Amino acid sequence: MLKVEGLHAGYGSVNILWDISFTLEDGEIVAILGSNGAGKTTMVRAVTGMLKPASGSVSFNNEEMAKKNSRMILNSGIVQVPEGRQLFTEMTVLENLQMGAFNKETKIHFQDNLKKAYQWFPKLEERAKQAAGTLSGGEQQMVAVARALIGEPKLLILDEPSLGLAPNIVDDILQVASTLAKNDGISVLLVEQDITKALAAADRGYVIENGRIVLEGTASELQANEHVKKAYLGI
Amino acid sequence: MSMFLQACVNGLLMGGFYSLMGMGQNIIFGVMKIVNFCHGEMLMVGMYLTFILYTFFGIDPYLAVPIVAVTMFCLGSLIQHTLITPSLGTKSFTNLLFLTVGLGLLLSNGALVIFGSEYRSIRTAYSQTYIQLGPVTMALPRLISFGVLIVVTVALFAFLKYTTIGKQIRAVSQNPVGAEVVGIDVKKIYILTYGLGIALAGTAGALLTQFYTIFPTAGASFGFRALIVVVVGGLGSIPGAFLAGIFLGLLETMSALFISPSYSDLIVFMTFIVILVVRQTMIARRK
Repeated sequence: MLKVEGLHAGYGSVNILWDISFTLEDGEIVAILGSNGAGKTTMVRAVTGMLKPASGSVSFNNEEMAKKNSRMILNSGIVQVPEGRQLFTEMTVLENLQMGAFNKETKIHFQDNLKKAYQWFPKLEERAKQAAGTLSGGEQQMVAVARALIGEPKLLILDEPSLGLAPNIVDDILQVASTLAKNDGISVLLVEQDITKALAAADRGYVIENGRIVLEGTASELQANEHVKKAYLGI
Repeated sequence: MSMFLQACVNGLLMGGFYSLMGMGQNIIFGVMKIVNFCHGEMLMVGMYLTFILYTFFGIDPYLAVPIVAVTMFCLGSLIQHTLITPSLGTKSFTNLLFLTVGLGLLLSNGALVIFGSEYRSIRTAYSQTYIQLGPVTMALPRLISFGVLIVVTVALFAFLKYTTIGKQIRAVSQNPVGAEVVGIDVKKIYILTYGLGIALAGTAGALLTQFYTIFPTAGASFGFRALIVVVVGGLGSIPGAFLAGIFLGLLETMSALFISPSYSDLIVFMTFIVILVVRQTMIARRK
């Protein structure tokens, strides 16, 4: 459903992404792996329309996204949980979740989706009236994921969900992503530098280095790959 | 005692105006991180608009308030769309400084060309009607303005707290990246925010007309005080601006009562400097 081909993107005269191509099927979890500064977040920004690609194509359900703005892309069902969560810290948890309903359809379904989000993350219901900034890092990540789910994603992009979180919380969040993919057919693009965790959750993966894809394969192929072992897993 | 109560009421009234100016300034700052240096001049434009509506169309200054607010909202939106949004793209603070200061000069000098330098005022049939409230006597226009200020302030808080647009304004001011992630049309929010800020300044101007003289630089002192309110109340904080405005109004009337009316400006600015210095040392110590 998502097909990225020959994507180049960068800031001003500095090009960061070079010829990025990858695919993602319905209900599949694909990991984009790479260390800090490899260009992962730039890629997320280019796919979600927050950064205009210099060239290349991003097609989602056979529709070209590369020329669309971020709101149009959001409307077509690509919703992201951004790096660093980007919550509205002085607003309550509930208000943050309300902001996730960005169009008429999601506003109409809000109450149902809110109930589902609370089932995923029961803690958020207890904290609904609390300012989001007063929550722990893990709870804030839950708010960010729940906010994205309220936008009814067809493709959910998780940008660095492990950043600054305890391992068991990362597992919980990846567990939610796996269930969503399996039961609801939501595709998940998991952008991570914690390669062990990402490959444990993903079906396939791509490795980005210096803005280029250098390796791709199924999760087990990548886990067994000599370069991945040496460069990322320290084995 | 009754002098003191009288000063309290007058302080609250003037404080209400400073709050309104400061909150408008702070909404704009929160969303766009720019200081609107023509805020006082916008109040002056609101005054002249009310003056025109009263003198040429016979519209009562209080009935003119909604007309002035809507007109000023449109003016602000237009300025945002044609001048400020394009300048925001340059990410240059000096551009925006010159732009808003220049707009202010243009407006006050424009008023000078059109209306001349004479002091104008609006005297309605009820301008000199006084109402006795216990130990306090208040001119009817001041009382009505006070009431309208309360209504506008409450409405503003409710708007920001409960409406979708209000929440979007808060969202953009708290986290512009997050706002884009959830699909908020940031440019639209800019236009609405600047329009709203200017409408609040215009409303303050309209409410002042019956007990304040109208002249081309009438907005300057309110513009300065809006800046004080913003800095004391905290950049971008709406409740902070509200409280700081009330504090400033009370400080002014109290110093006029207990010290001397001619020193009230001095005391206001001295207090401002003291607050700045104290806060600076507190920040320095925390680091």
